[in-house]
Amino acid sequence: MFHNSSQRKYWIFRSEEELEQMRRKANQKFRNKLLESGKSGVRESMFLERHEEDMLFRYYERRLLDLCNAFKPAMPKSVVGTAIMYFRRFYLNNSIMEYHPRIIMLTCAYLSCKVDEFNVSSAQFVGNLLQETPAGQERVLEQILEYELLLIQQLNFHLVVHNPYRPMEGLLIDLKTRYPALESPESLRKNVDDFLTQAAMTDAGLLFPPSQIALTAILNSASRAGLSMESYLTESLSLKEDKETLLKMYDSMRRMKALLNQYELPKAEEVNVYKQKLERIHAEFTTSSTKRKRGYEEDGHVAKEPRLAEEEWTDEDLL
Amino acid sequence: MEQYSILGRIGEGAHGIVFKAKHVETGETVALKKVALRKLEDGIPNQALREIKALQEIEDNQCVVKLKDVFPHGTGFVLVFDFMLSDLSEVIRNSEQTLTPAQVKGYMMMLLKGVTFLHHNNIMHRDLKPANLLISSSGHLKIADFGLARLFSEQGERLYSHQVATRWYRAPELLYGARKYDEGVDLWAVGCIFGELLNSSPLFPGENDIEQLCCVLRVLGTPTQDTWPEIVELPDYNKITFKENPAIPLEEIVPDTPPQAISLLYKFLVYSSKQRCSARRALLHPYFFSSPLPAHHSELPIPHLGGHPPRQRLQPPSLDLSVDLPLQNNVVDPTLLQGHATCL
Repeated sequence: MFHNSSQRKYWIFRSEEELEQMRRKANQKFRNKLLESGKSGVRESMFLERHEEDMLFRYYERRLLDLCNAFKPAMPKSVVGTAIMYFRRFYLNNSIMEYHPRIIMLTCAYLSCKVDEFNVSSAQFVGNLLQETPAGQERVLEQILEYELLLIQQLNFHLVVHNPYRPMEGLLIDLKTRYPALESPESLRKNVDDFLTQAAMTDAGLLFPPSQIALTAILNSASRAGLSMESYLTESLSLKEDKETLLKMYDSMRRMKALLNQYELPKAEEVNVYKQKLERIHAEFTTSSTKRKRGYEEDGHVAKEPRLAEEEWTDEDLL
Repeated sequence: MEQYSILGRIGEGAHGIVFKAKHVETGETVALKKVALRKLEDGIPNQALREIKALQEIEDNQCVVKLKDVFPHGTGFVLVFDFMLSDLSEVIRNSEQTLTPAQVKGYMMMLLKGVTFLHHNNIMHRDLKPANLLISSSGHLKIADFGLARLFSEQGERLYSHQVATRWYRAPELLYGARKYDEGVDLWAVGCIFGELLNSSPLFPGENDIEQLCCVLRVLGTPTQDTWPEIVELPDYNKITFKENPAIPLEEIVPDTPPQAISLLYKFLVYSSKQRCSARRALLHPYFFSSPLPAHHSELPIPHLGGHPPRQRLQPPSLDLSVDLPLQNNVVDPTLLQGHATCL
């Protein structure tokens, strides 16, 4: 249930500003770390600015969505939603300059499949990376497994994500049974689905409960079809007497729509420029600054390197 | 990890070693379940994920083991649980006498409370069995091991694995290969555990999957479309046929059992999952409200882990407090308190 979920307790934030602040902090943290490392060649100009980082983030998020949509066997929506949410949660506290989004996005999808019991084997999973050779796929898998622990840690071991898809189904059923004013709720479905997909690519899920996102999706689709559903809120959901909740709901809906309207597809030319910056940082600095050494090849793939021999965890270790 | 000092090794779990440890700050005794990630081709094992997933999303319940913390360690991570002295299989195996009817009732009540809570939170445990019902030092029963647990939704489109539950406690629909099932699989297991508590031996101890089905069919009778309408839809329905035999009354399977207990047992051991009594309703069964009433947790046996003879529970000091004795024998010598109590 959402109301006692880790999502409600730890992953719903107060405002858009709070989220931006967290990301700013993550960006700054990485800059400081490099600047303080005393490495030669570190200049302020080489770092990604927040808006640059943001555009690359959206670029990789889109790639994550594309991968999920093209996935075989077909990935259930909740798995896709969870993967994107993991990706967003991860980069709230981490900069893409520190951990490359290319591998984190794959790790998010991989973990989401497992957590949501969409059972595909690891070989099957990387088999979906069509642009990779079998050897390349194997290499990617190795990286995914290496980053899985980091990801789950950064998610604070909070694995269950409540997506708006179930509340949406519930609301559609409710409309069919209790709201005859709307003739065919099913006809809204296409637009509702589109709204939810777009919402997943915004911070909506970090600001609002899934049921509110679903409700907004439905009301929004209805109004686009020229139907007013205000009486559903006031009468069927009995918010008429509860002005405060009603106003809050309107406010949330307005904010959500703003988030969707603000969304801009990353522009290819800019992405390419920022990507070069990103690759440079990773190639020159990230590898040697992280504890676990990794090398990045020019084509953007993490080079195969033996994992650091970490100690086996034995009884003695604990004793 | 520095927060804990290891006291010893409890055992080997499905995904690693379990240690007994003490939280340095609070002095609390805990069980640390270590999940190592090396050499696993699929990464973090599903069992560990399920355990975290199920236990992290629920509030505390007295009848469900508590996941106190998760933290990374080395190449893996550690799950921190309440330390539990023993489990119900030890209790059944080791108690000197068979459990009293009141004790069985006490265990059943705690088990059903826990199952009610889980099902209310949309969690199917899928592996209920005496070994997964831990017993605390205060005699409380707590459901543990959520390595197979699944959050279920009523959408009913996703398929589940039928390779769940330990064989003896596996519901008949699973034995017939069902991929769509519900929390009824837990209720079947509850019935099996109930029977085992009453008999002190497992109800359906099949040696393999086929024999398991035989065990069940022998007692419940060959299923028909009347007793089990959904059977025709099960994947393995046509693959196996058994010689027809009538049901054996449960009174003969669990002899010397009061009728109320038999009546409740009948409500769980039903072929059709939908007809099994929910845990919540079972708690309202007259069985729990008739004499003898369920035993209080302090009246339940607490065997020592590993089957050693139970340690002596603390006895009150044998002071002979009696109204017939001279008063000075019963009061504390004031000189003993000097230096400890300033008012003297």
